[in-house]
Amino acid sequence: MAIPKPKLPGFLQGMAVTARTAKETMFPDGMKNPIPQPSKGAATVQYPHVKEAPAPRARGVISLQEDNCTSCMLCARECPDWCIYIEAHKTLAPPRRAGGKPRSVNTLDRFDIDYSLCMYCGICVEVCPFEALYWSPEYEYSEVRIADLLHDKERLGEWFETVPEFEPYEAGSEAKQKKVSRKEAK
Amino acid sequence: MTAITDRQKLAYIAGQAADARVNIELETEGMTLNMGPQHPATHGTLRIVAKLDGEQVIAADPIMGYMHRGYEKLAEVRTYAQVTTLVNRIDWLGSFANEVPFILASEQLMGIEAPPRAQWIRTLLFELSRVANIILFLGDMAVQLGALTPVFFAFRDREHVLNQIESATGGRFHPNFDRIGGIKDDLPKGWLAETKATMANVRKFCDEMEELVMGSQIFEARTRGIGVIPPDVAQQYGLSGANLRASGVDWDIRRDNNIGLVYDKLDWKVWTHTDGDSFARFWVRMQETREACNMIEQLCDGVPSGPIMAKVPRIIKVPAGEAFVSTENPLGEMGYYIVSQGDLTPFRVKIRTASFNNVSITPWILRGVYVPDIITILASLYFILGDIDR
Repeated sequence: MAIPKPKLPGFLQGMAVTARTAKETMFPDGMKNPIPQPSKGAATVQYPHVKEAPAPRARGVISLQEDNCTSCMLCARECPDWCIYIEAHKTLAPPRRAGGKPRSVNTLDRFDIDYSLCMYCGICVEVCPFEALYWSPEYEYSEVRIADLLHDKERLGEWFETVPEFEPYEAGSEAKQKKVSRKEAK
Repeated sequence: MTAITDRQKLAYIAGQAADARVNIELETEGMTLNMGPQHPATHGTLRIVAKLDGEQVIAADPIMGYMHRGYEKLAEVRTYAQVTTLVNRIDWLGSFANEVPFILASEQLMGIEAPPRAQWIRTLLFELSRVANIILFLGDMAVQLGALTPVFFAFRDREHVLNQIESATGGRFHPNFDRIGGIKDDLPKGWLAETKATMANVRKFCDEMEELVMGSQIFEARTRGIGVIPPDVAQQYGLSGANLRASGVDWDIRRDNNIGLVYDKLDWKVWTHTDGDSFARFWVRMQETREACNMIEQLCDGVPSGPIMAKVPRIIKVPAGEAFVSTENPLGEMGYYIVSQGDLTPFRVKIRTASFNNVSITPWILRGVYVPDIITILASLYFILGDIDR
């Protein structure tokens, strides 16, 4: 009859796991280079000094491409908590072709998104038929006063610079590659 | 009646004895212990009113509703696309899984079916959210027993899974990715390979957890034979998910009543445990995490090419009718009963969530246990308050 091997008590085994993890955190390069580097081995980053890059698709903040907006109000109507405020007036634009009639176009007076109400669902970006709204993965826009979370159209336009290009799709996809409609440099 | 083990029999007798004592010694003064609604050991605002006799609980009542948000009513004044954003917030740890049954029920009413690629990606994200949810349980269970290390491990490794969900859907916690007729967007390039690498990480986490928690004598002493639910009682209280399977009932909607997802094309098994105690519930969930890793790897290999959206009208009006679809969510059976009258909004939405039933068994299961075991039993039942109150 074989004598069973003395089994390590379970909690000692657990402490070994903890110790191993602590070792890997302190010495991420292994024991050949025994210099403690806890900030390198740690799973977290030292936030204000080191920043993590969110995924390009991350829904951080909504940016507005003002030239594309026709103030059709689709986004404001589809928003589940009605946090988009749009006001516009009609103006006459010069005709497209010489000799034509002047066109009547909508000019935005106000395009505000209240980020204290926004639930980051992305419906407004999805329903916009004129590619005026885009998601940007920026996240650092917390404010001391809640009223400052109301971003007007200038502020939303500034976010547009941070909009990344759409990623290519996985193999086997038949979806059309989307593009960010950027303004040409003037 | 199904055969029950000695341990279950003993628990049942202890419960009966506690009952009997209430009837005999009515004049003796017990003590009422309020746990919650803001108790650090209850995850959320669940209040347990426990009547104690010394160190033993003779009656316990769960009191819910402190976090009621009225989603069933809110859904009546929102279009189908907007409801998806709401139901994300029901079980916030596995939020993609909340959208799927709602979308499937609406699709059933409209008579459309998502293309195969959309179905595969849906199942993939469904299982990812299951992994993200249960990883946190595995760490949290140990925290309730007083071990702090496992929960840090759990948060560390859940982050990788959440990163995958974020890079595909754009939202870490609230993906809002499922649409009637398909999914919102296709996967980004390289995502499937990254997901497979993440699954290797999750497997490593499970092995670590097994060494760290399950091997420990303290853990076994606190969970073995504690909070035993016999299979017939579990069925009578309407338990579902891992809580039911830990009692030995071999029932899984993914296998038995699979609608609209591709589980029938995968090679996997349903894990059950015969004990029905807290340890069994922990064990079943751990095996399920591994099984989900298995499934995700198969799903990553098998995603077919094709479109991701069926032909759906731009303005979605669901024809009049009723539909109920339930899926096997991380916490158990979750289903939506949708009544439509052909409008832009549903006429009535009834949400059947797993946690509500899972927590309803507490008066039965907490009878006759000792005070410290209340915490471990509640932790092992694993409910999420948003899922109870919705």
